[in-house]
Amino acid sequence: MNLENFGMDTITLAGPLEARLRAARAAGFTQIMLSARDLVEHPGGEAAAVAAVRESGLRVTGFQVLRDFEGLSGHLHAYKLDIAKAMLGLCHDLGSKLLLACSSSSAHAGGDPALLARDLSKLATLAVPLGVRVAYEALSWGKHVNEFTQAWDVVMRADRANLGLALDSFHMLATKTALDELDLVDPEKIFLVQLADFMWQELPSREERINTARHFRVFPGEGVHGEEVAELVRRLDRMGYRGDYSFEVFNDDYTQLPAPIAAGRARQAVKWLTDRVSRRSLPVRKDRPWAQRSG
Amino acid sequence: MTNRESNPEPTNPLGIDGIEFIEYATSQPQALGSVLQSMGFVPVARHRSREVMLYRQGPMNLIVNAHPDALPGMRAPTATPELKAIALRVRDAGFAWRRSLDLGAWEMPTRASAMELNIPGIHGAGDSLFYFVDRYEDFSIYDVDFVPLPGTAQRPPAIAGMHYFGVVQAILEERTHDWLDFYGSLFGFSVLPQGKKYGVLPKGTLLESPCHKFYLQLIEPPPGAEDIQWDEALVRVGLGAPDVKAATKALAERGVVFIDRGSVQPSEKGALTQVYLGGVTFELVKSQLQP
Repeated sequence: MNLENFGMDTITLAGPLEARLRAARAAGFTQIMLSARDLVEHPGGEAAAVAAVRESGLRVTGFQVLRDFEGLSGHLHAYKLDIAKAMLGLCHDLGSKLLLACSSSSAHAGGDPALLARDLSKLATLAVPLGVRVAYEALSWGKHVNEFTQAWDVVMRADRANLGLALDSFHMLATKTALDELDLVDPEKIFLVQLADFMWQELPSREERINTARHFRVFPGEGVHGEEVAELVRRLDRMGYRGDYSFEVFNDDYTQLPAPIAAGRARQAVKWLTDRVSRRSLPVRKDRPWAQRSG
Repeated sequence: MTNRESNPEPTNPLGIDGIEFIEYATSQPQALGSVLQSMGFVPVARHRSREVMLYRQGPMNLIVNAHPDALPGMRAPTATPELKAIALRVRDAGFAWRRSLDLGAWEMPTRASAMELNIPGIHGAGDSLFYFVDRYEDFSIYDVDFVPLPGTAQRPPAIAGMHYFGVVQAILEERTHDWLDFYGSLFGFSVLPQGKKYGVLPKGTLLESPCHKFYLQLIEPPPGAEDIQWDEALVRVGLGAPDVKAATKALAERGVVFIDRGSVQPSEKGALTQVYLGGVTFELVKSQLQP
């Protein structure tokens, strides 16, 4: 496991898209997770945003986020379907192969797992001609699906090759879902892992979860659940997960500081994590100073 | 909201009953027409309002579309002919279309002019479309939109019993399962067991239509193909023939050139034509399918 496995998320960084891409790149990252806003709020329009991403040389980890899609009926479903199609179109235009869809927090959403699976199957079918995979994530304040175990149940029911799971350590820590539950998940069906920590021991209420998730997440190594985040990565690595890890750090302090500062902290988080997880894919260094001394 | 019971679907939910027509788009329809004629297709009718020609051979209908906005929502045809659409015969086109949209297909914008049939369709791979046609027994879609060419037999016979066997679709790496799910859930196609092969190109994954009348073959890029331009698209029509050697001979006499080297030499199992016009090939496959 090395730097190549980790990516930043534009939501952590301040400034114009180009500056955020530059900061991530300058910190040594090779991939970046993008939001729809990065495209539509670009002063040059979507095409200019897409061009900036291409020129950055960064690989697109994924595109976020489709909210509140599943479990609706009638005109609400029809409306969300249009939104989903537009999001898939943006995702495709960007060259992203992954769309993040998070579990519905809508009061109008039904919770029958068969219904949720049917809706996610539909989303997956829409995504096939565009070459996009859909990663379904349990928000810790989701109305019916708020733990990854429930999201996994829906993904299995839907049974679509291009539909998988997104894990987010923030939500897993908030709900205190046992990591042993991961043993039931097929690592091939984990399409994305998002990593973040926070500063409080517990987030018992929905309001606390939402508020902390949107404003005060921190990088692994900066919060109070560091060992649990490291254990999550260790387990995923042992299970055979070889996909991307993306730092999903929403933090109001970081977005009012220059992007290189936040990118530097992300880089420290990679080191903090890789120091704690096996260095499976690190090449053996040939320039070890002690080797030279002994030679 | 209606209640939904979770009973199993029928194996052929759309009542698919074979291929009604296959459509190419090109800005040079004469050049493609001459290739098609050497393959035994005969021009039989012209569209009333568009630069569109209907070719036939035995049970096969083939449309060459040169209209500038040939396919709704798509770019104009290029000089290199492109395989753009498969029209499926179904029990009820409106039902097939609505069900497909319900399950996550992308709607194709309508393009019918006044007094023309509106053929519903959905998007497939790349720029391609699937149409749904339910008028193919007592009454045909061509009766409305096409004018027969004077003095032309409307039912030219097939050379050597040729019929549509299937269509080959190029897909990107590791996308086979995505497309299997797509065709399985929308149309009820099922994958043939590995090892059950047809023709001379024993690669890719074969999907059988629920009516058992034709196949789709999915082909990922071959290993070491990083430098090849490989997009997702419909790439080739497969023609079935009960006696491939007889069909190959008859077509060779009409000037069709078959690849005669390497692993795709003509045999009793199949044959592959050379590439015409920068992108058109046909594959012959031994087949007893009854369209």
